Amino acid sequence: MRLLVGAAAFGGVLLLVLALAAPHLDRASPALLVSTLTACVAVAALAAQPWLTRRRVGAHVRVGGVIAVLVAAHVVALLIESPDDALYSMSLDGPTRARMALFAMVLLAVVTLLGVLRRRLRWSAPTWRFVHGSLAGLVVVLGVGHAILIQGALDGWGTVVLLALGGLGVVGVVVRLVAVLRSGDAMAHDRGRVRPGADEHG
Amino acid sequence: MPRTRPHPVAVGAVVLLVAMIAAALWNSDESGTGARQVGAQAAPVLPAAAPGATCAPTVTNPGGRNNYREDAPLDVPLGRGLVITGLVRDTACRPLPGVRVQVWLQTALGSERENRTTVLTDPDGRYRVVSDPVVVQFGEPNVHVAHDVDGSPYASVWQRQVLQADDTLAVVDLVLAPAS
Repeated sequence: MRLLVGAAAFGGVLLLVLALAAPHLDRASPALLVSTLTACVAVAALAAQPWLTRRRVGAHVRVGGVIAVLVAAHVVALLIESPDDALYSMSLDGPTRARMALFAMVLLAVVTLLGVLRRRLRWSAPTWRFVHGSLAGLVVVLGVGHAILIQGALDGWGTVVLLALGGLGVVGVVVRLVAVLRSGDAMAHDRGRVRPGADEHG
Repeated sequence: MPRTRPHPVAVGAVVLLVAMIAAALWNSDESGTGARQVGAQAAPVLPAAAPGATCAPTVTNPGGRNNYREDAPLDVPLGRGLVITGLVRDTACRPLPGVRVQVWLQTALGSERENRTTVLTDPDGRYRVVSDPVVVQFGEPNVHVAHDVDGSPYASVWQRQVLQADDTLAVVDLVLAPAS
């Protein structure tokens, strides 16, 4: 699993290098630069997330928080770059790619909230994991899909790396969901604790 | 006895959500509602209007006003490599000479807010702006064309249309409705 997390991190570095080398960002404003670079890191972090749920989820929780902050910074930077275009993109008349981004953003907020409220919700472990995991999978598909459809800093090889990272994330979601749901005895295999022994059954 | 499977309601809700998102994406316009590819290699020749013909007025499309600033200066050179042109007519399909048309787009020279000009239509009702090639702006190259003049006998209209970065010609025709 460390290998796959490492691969995701390497993919993130590749995205950053490709974006910075792209002519699209030659004369870019600081806001556009911030929005592109935060997105690159967020994609790599999303690809790593499912693989970080194998043992204790401390890293998964921290990375989840980082992703929420990165995506928030990405959206705020776009609003600063061009409020007209950002609000148009987030409207129901926006292009398909922007609608994907909008859904991904809302779902990411839901997935993050599910993580924060895990204990308060008192859902059964399989139910919580299924909802959190499947919605997170949607975030990966829609978020990375929007990055692929968008023209700009990550065309060409950038698209290849985006596809690879999206694939890594989606495969991770499926593999981990199947694994935790198949294990059946949810309580015995509940690795979803931030601190071992902190609660009865997560 | 702890539950070992996800609650059926949760599974149903997620499946329903996926279906709704798929439907919403399927029903969206690739480049935004009402935006179409206007890039071309040669301007289409519109047939002369038959007497009594009517033309549907151009409707402002969503995003048409993005980054619009009133009163762009007249005939500012915007570079070369891309020609933005179009025929401006009234709802009786008659060409309108001497009508102010504003064009703005992002190129290597500047953003949509900086890179703009106003031109007048010629005696045949055509406007023409020569610009540097369009560049990707918010995920896709796009060009804006508008008629918005205080005291104009025609109603204001704003357009946002998309094209490819290597297009050398963009054709955006306007049919202006009388000002109400």
